[in-house]
Amino acid sequence: MLIELQDINKTYNNGQPLHVLKGINLGIERGEFVSIMGASGSGKSTLLNILGILDSYDTGTYHLDGKLIKDLSETQSADYRNRMIGFIFQSFNLIGFKTAVENVELPLYYQGVPRRERRARAMEYLDKLGLTQWAGHFPNEMSGGQKQRVAIARALITHPQIILADEPTGALDSKTSVEVMQLLKKLNQEEGITIIVVTHEGGVANETDKIIHIKDGIIGNIEENKAHLAWGGSIIK
Amino acid sequence: MRELFHEITSTLRNNKLRTALTGFAVSWGIFLLICLLGAGNGLMNSFMGNMEDFISQSIAVEAWYTSEPYDGYQSNRKIDLNEKDVAYTAGPEWADIIKNVSRTTAGRSDTLSLNGLTVNGYLLGVTPDYQELNKMKMAVGRFLNPDDELQQRKVMVIAMSQAKELNPKDPENVLGQWVSAGSIAYKVVGIYYTDERDWRRSVCIPYNTFKGIYDVSDKVQSISFEVSGPKTVAEHKAFEADYGAALKRRHHVSPTDERAFWIMNGYTSNMQMNQAQSILRMALWILGLLTLVSGIVGVSNIMLIAVKERTHEFGIRKAIGAKPGNILNLIIAESISITAVFGYLGMLLGMVACEVMDKTIGQNSVDIGFQQIQMLKNPTVGVDVAIEATLVLIVAGTLAGAIPAWKAAKVKPIEALRAE
Repeated sequence: MLIELQDINKTYNNGQPLHVLKGINLGIERGEFVSIMGASGSGKSTLLNILGILDSYDTGTYHLDGKLIKDLSETQSADYRNRMIGFIFQSFNLIGFKTAVENVELPLYYQGVPRRERRARAMEYLDKLGLTQWAGHFPNEMSGGQKQRVAIARALITHPQIILADEPTGALDSKTSVEVMQLLKKLNQEEGITIIVVTHEGGVANETDKIIHIKDGIIGNIEENKAHLAWGGSIIK
Repeated sequence: MRELFHEITSTLRNNKLRTALTGFAVSWGIFLLICLLGAGNGLMNSFMGNMEDFISQSIAVEAWYTSEPYDGYQSNRKIDLNEKDVAYTAGPEWADIIKNVSRTTAGRSDTLSLNGLTVNGYLLGVTPDYQELNKMKMAVGRFLNPDDELQQRKVMVIAMSQAKELNPKDPENVLGQWVSAGSIAYKVVGIYYTDERDWRRSVCIPYNTFKGIYDVSDKVQSISFEVSGPKTVAEHKAFEADYGAALKRRHHVSPTDERAFWIMNGYTSNMQMNQAQSILRMALWILGLLTLVSGIVGVSNIMLIAVKERTHEFGIRKAIGAKPGNILNLIIAESISITAVFGYLGMLLGMVACEVMDKTIGQNSVDIGFQQIQMLKNPTVGVDVAIEATLVLIVAGTLAGAIPAWKAAKVKPIEALRAE
């Protein structure tokens, strides 16, 4: 098991206590390509934040690659995020005043990788994603699809254990959405990278091999989707 | 280190307006600090430059008129010091404290003339140590020596300003000439240096020569001496009181009469001047640092806003692996870079401003009647001040960055990512 969640509970205390996750049990194997699907308010984003060590949980246990992720200091969790997790966000979250290649090499900067090596590896990943000639461009000079591919390159550059994608197609048109999902699928199939996609769109979920439904803070049914047939094999917007 | 530097330069380059505003606040603070210190130095230099010419490390005593009736004598009686007073001052009673006693005669105005050119002179009979006690610098020739004194030679030492009147083309050539003062001719053995600010125009001739020719009494105009006992201002005051009381007894003057004897103490004048100088210097630093504080508050303020503005960016950085320490270092390093670079710029501009001050108002002098004084003399700051200012800058930069950096480092990544 790469990811093992046991009875995870999370309550937000902003005025009215809000019990968001009510005992989540979940296991994800290495090399899986899964989606977590649910309506807004279902707790799927909170679950993703906990998986990404961006947020803490109240009770239960979370093991990532055998390590218990609980009560970590900010410094420790930053280190785990850096080495084990790659993030892809709905709004890309690129740093606006850095060029594509500078954005991609930033995780390596925090690992203390020397500048020249960093640059070489970043260029390698940009090349892989077909963005070589965009390396020196700033995010606002690129299209949404290009920006998301830069973000994917940034997520991949540290060879993480898992890629966490939070509504990766939410800000893209349908054609680009298909391209991004195809790209993720290719990365999973060809490189064996574990990818977890959080979405509320059935079409996006359908591109993954396993769909985990979450509703009101509880895992519902888990749907095997190897044939990608459930939604007619295409993304419906 | 180089990595951090690269991070900073790219951030600053991409936030030009913010960087410029912050930088201006710092530059302005340092600029004012340097200008203040420079002007203060100029003021002090002009004080010292003007004062050091006549403040000597000695005490001089002169007698004047009494202000009270006493011991059967009426008020307003003229008191004269005499050779017995000199002997008393140099005598065993004061041997522990008083050293190197010398005296001068009363002055005498005469007309000096050489080859038809004339100038007014104030003839003064002095002993050879007069030069040292009055800090006279010789332009050419020598001062009076003990042989002049012993042999009652007719020699004189005149001021350069007088030499210029007597021989405008070649004043130094007056040396060795016989110049007549009234009906008596003296050989000029030395010319002492004066400039346009110098009020002294005394013509020094040997004490015994003066006494032999103009005044055969034993009257002495002033007695000068050095003291070795008193150290503090209070001790000097006590000594002045003791010595003054002794003189009053000798001349039958009321112990409470403050006008009969005039004691000019060069030691305490110097101490007071040094004290005034250090107070002025400290006041200037305090003013300058307060100015700088407003600059630091400015930087801190702008950094706070910048941190707020960049919360989302810090969220991204944290999500991809930036530790709180990385963020802390980034902000502090940024603020130090801004303060250092712009502070240095402000310092250079301040030094240029000081030079401009030196070349303009520094050259102006004010006529205060008997002499010219420069209002600002060499109003510049030295390397030591530059180094001190640089240290102040680095500390200031760290302080300015500390609070915003702490705020930024504390933000949870999930909250930071939500910020827009």
